[in-house]
Amino acid sequence: MEFRPILSAMRRNKVGAILISLQMAITLAILCNGIFIIVQRVALSKRPTGADESNIFVIPNQWVGSPPDLVARLRGDLTALRGLPGVIDAYATNSTLLSNGGSSEGVNLKPDQKEASAQTALYFADEHALNALGLKLVSGRNFNADEVTDKMGYTDHGPAGVVIITRALAEKLFPGKTALGQSIYVQPADHAMQVVGVVERMQVPWVGSWSAKFNDNSILEPFRYADTYAYYVVRSQPNQLAGVLKAAEKKLYEVGHDRVLEKIKSLTEARAEVYQDDRGLAVILGVVCTALVAVMAFGIVGLTSYWVAQRRRQIGIRRALGATRSAILHYFQTENCLIAASGAALGIGLAVCLNLWMVSTFEMERLHLSYPISGAFVMLLLGQASVLWPAMKAASVPPALATRAS
Amino acid sequence: MFNYYMALAVLSLKRNVVLTVLMIAAVGVGIGASMTMLTVFRAMAEDPIPNKSHELFAVQIDNWGPRKSFSSNGDNLSEQVSYTDAMALMSIRAAKRQSAMYATGAALTPEDPERRPFRVHARATYADFFPMFSVRFRFGASWTAAEEAERSEVLVISRELNDKVFAGANSVGKTLNLDGHPFRVVGVMEHWEPIPKFYDLNDMYGKSEEIFVPFGRAIENQMPSWGNTNCHDDIGAPGWDGHLRSECVWVQFWAELPTAAEAEHYRSVLNNYAADQQRSGRFHWPPNTRVRDVREWLTYQHVVSNEARILVLVSFSFLLVCLLNAMGLMLAKIMGRAGDIGIRRALGANRRAIFSQCLIEAGVVGLAGGCLGLALTALGLVGLRSLLSESVSRLTHLSISDVAIALILSIVATTLAGLYPTWRAAQVQPVWQLKAQ
Amino acid sequence: MLKMTHLSKAYRTEVVETYALRDFSIDVSEGEFVAVTGPSGSGKTTFLSIAGLLEEFSGGEYQLDGANVRGLNDDQRSKLRNEKIGFIFQAFNLIADLNVQDNIDVPLRYRGFDAAERRRRTQEASRRVGLSARSRHYPAELSGGQQQRVAIARALAGSPRLLLADEPTGNLDTQMARGVMDLLEELHRDGATIVMVTHDPELAVRADREVHIVDGQVVELSVPSRRIAAASIPT
Repeated sequence: MEFRPILSAMRRNKVGAILISLQMAITLAILCNGIFIIVQRVALSKRPTGADESNIFVIPNQWVGSPPDLVARLRGDLTALRGLPGVIDAYATNSTLLSNGGSSEGVNLKPDQKEASAQTALYFADEHALNALGLKLVSGRNFNADEVTDKMGYTDHGPAGVVIITRALAEKLFPGKTALGQSIYVQPADHAMQVVGVVERMQVPWVGSWSAKFNDNSILEPFRYADTYAYYVVRSQPNQLAGVLKAAEKKLYEVGHDRVLEKIKSLTEARAEVYQDDRGLAVILGVVCTALVAVMAFGIVGLTSYWVAQRRRQIGIRRALGATRSAILHYFQTENCLIAASGAALGIGLAVCLNLWMVSTFEMERLHLSYPISGAFVMLLLGQASVLWPAMKAASVPPALATRAS
Repeated sequence: MFNYYMALAVLSLKRNVVLTVLMIAAVGVGIGASMTMLTVFRAMAEDPIPNKSHELFAVQIDNWGPRKSFSSNGDNLSEQVSYTDAMALMSIRAAKRQSAMYATGAALTPEDPERRPFRVHARATYADFFPMFSVRFRFGASWTAAEEAERSEVLVISRELNDKVFAGANSVGKTLNLDGHPFRVVGVMEHWEPIPKFYDLNDMYGKSEEIFVPFGRAIENQMPSWGNTNCHDDIGAPGWDGHLRSECVWVQFWAELPTAAEAEHYRSVLNNYAADQQRSGRFHWPPNTRVRDVREWLTYQHVVSNEARILVLVSFSFLLVCLLNAMGLMLAKIMGRAGDIGIRRALGANRRAIFSQCLIEAGVVGLAGGCLGLALTALGLVGLRSLLSESVSRLTHLSISDVAIALILSIVATTLAGLYPTWRAAQVQPVWQLKAQ
Repeated sequence: MLKMTHLSKAYRTEVVETYALRDFSIDVSEGEFVAVTGPSGSGKTTFLSIAGLLEEFSGGEYQLDGANVRGLNDDQRSKLRNEKIGFIFQAFNLIADLNVQDNIDVPLRYRGFDAAERRRRTQEASRRVGLSARSRHYPAELSGGQQQRVAIARALAGSPRLLLADEPTGNLDTQMARGVMDLLEELHRDGATIVMVTHDPELAVRADREVHIVDGQVVELSVPSRRIAAASIPT
């Protein structure tokens, strides 16, 4: 295929070719970055918590007023819950997974450190917690019943003696050695806590970007959280969650009716809710990117059809002079390929520039080069697909056209 | 001539329906996408209290000292203040109006024993809050200075709560049982929902509170903060009193300073207070305080999310592609009619006449595209509402100014896109014969 | 009315310079009916383009209705064209989207007449060419002869000083052609100045005089019935 005559013919229709090229370049830049963001957000929303999510539900329990016998009520509630048919285990805590609410602290290796060795989330848990969450211990042990004390709200500063931490935190604080038996210091920083167990994974309660860097750093402290407002975490037998949830709500109201039980939800629901905006962003970007590709494709079809119509007589002359149908087809396909190639080249550059700008402005991640390069090939293919119909119409122009006056 | 060109534009668009439909569709889809995002963006960036935003100031005071905190603000200031500082500032009374406040909540037990207690979100605040934030009352008014001083168990309720509990009737004087305490209703607010919720950015797009209680009463009842509490190094002594005396920050503080002079005066008062704290040994660092008005506060807090910015960028790029598309189609259309243009030139139309004619045609396409775009924007906003969480959905309402922006943007953008094709049309030479295509 | 003196029109490319018109002079007085003839490629079309201010010329002088045309900008030429000249093309060149009435109306729009004036002139011109009954018809619904008459009406509507016709009957059959020529003669009798380009000697005869162009230069005849055969022209 000779490129020069095609190029010189294109020079006469410069602007149209430039327009298509520009459209392709911008589309490629947006597409690359858009899909990159989508992939990131979807990955974010699939981060595992480490718990048996499909079988766990959370009951936010709020007592009316401040009853003086909070501890007794708490024990009564937990006994009732644990006794329900279909319940594997339950515990009370200050914060739950996928809730965007909880307590965050820096953790030190020595009492007087200026800067924390790691940032973590603090979860209050009793000896039933591991079972109620379905967390896997990778080393060490669970809390003993006598190690767990009552904590009357956040302002009760009674310290913990032992803690269970996550594997990620263990590796951060004690790289290469075992965390068991080591001491760490959490506020108040003068009290050492000994690590007695390490669980495989427990995500922090927050899902936003501010916690991404310490996403898997969690500490479980042995407290029964007896506060006016606390969360009961209940794990049910597989496939029984809905029924058990209703039973739990009913049972709790029976045990004591001066309380508020609102927004009881399973961890599955919580996951959908807490990542709703991330998923929403991904969907919106997906829609826009699809529309972008569609608009670009239609634009190519429209403009190429116009060029074909404009050059009908010329095509007829070529056919009269011996060009075959496929030669005409190839002509337009090549023309489109050249335009698409320049658009793709420009687009790769634009995609990278756009990404660099977004990295500095929005703190995004850098784009892998695989995105724009594969995107460029996709553009080329798309261009070819779009030009197929007008090119076939061109190929069907009869040679007899050459002999007719206009 | 304008009417003539309009008539010619309509005629020309009717002649090649497919091309016209493609052009209008391209513009419409582009406008639809970009206006959808722009509407949300504008709502996020909108001044939530336009007539007072330059008079209301958020107060910040550094009670932790120089530190490497993991907060991103860089000026070592927290968004909230400690209880100690809030009470001190309230007693200094250096502003026309001022209020410390925090978000809390309670369980409301209805009178009807058949109905279960339910959760209400509350704000503990001072009576100044209501005039400061231009809150209007449906029934009654806020509590009096005497009631405030006595820490009476009174409250102001929202219109929505009034509708829910009292079926919208005048409930002033009635009692609500909050956590076992009977609180007397002194006022019912009109619907009040600033977006974003600038006075408490713990919950940026959250709903407004259902009840407002006097700050002193909330403290006395030990109602805990339902917002963020940051304690940095010092979590204080145990218990509620220990918490109040600690350097934990969990209180928001707002001052009304109508003139620049008053704002300056307040700034110096604030600094003097911080200097006093340094002298007395509570602070070991020089005064570090700031007051920011509403707009500054919103910027400082990065209220417009990165996601919104990204979406606006993406959608306007989409609009650009659509306009390039439309430009190409307009070019094709106009050059296909080069014959007609040549005839008109021969008959005496000068370049400006051809220019006007084609530009008006572009404008008509822009208008039609804008109308389509508006319809798509409405659709897009409905889609957003179903996709995104409730708090963001509050931002998805099309205002009159959004409609106007959509139409004007569409017409202007399409006309700009039509500039090159129009210029080409005006270059067409007056023809003696219709040349063969 | 139309006076060209030593007019020349050259087309320059990088390599070669061709003269479409060379040392071309013509003087058409008011009220004359002049036929311009010549073989194809002789330059008669170029002459008409320049006469109609559709093209610029390289050298010489052109005076239209007393006004010197050289050096006018595009806006001025458009205005002059609009006010002084009425075109009648071989291919009719009507605008397909507009009906008869709107087609006749086109030059009047650019003239700036108000609605009442335009209506009066359009109706008058329609009546003149005998097409009042078909004002709302579209060109596609008319015969060739009718279309040409619409074009003539369009040319007349602005009361031009000069009518320029390029092979006005070229696309018409004999009967329609006769009708159009009758109309042109009628207009001439009413005082119109007409310059008509044609290759048909039968039509040339109907004019007052004939101007014969060969290779861009005039070989004039005073009486149309006689023609000097084209001899080789000195360069």
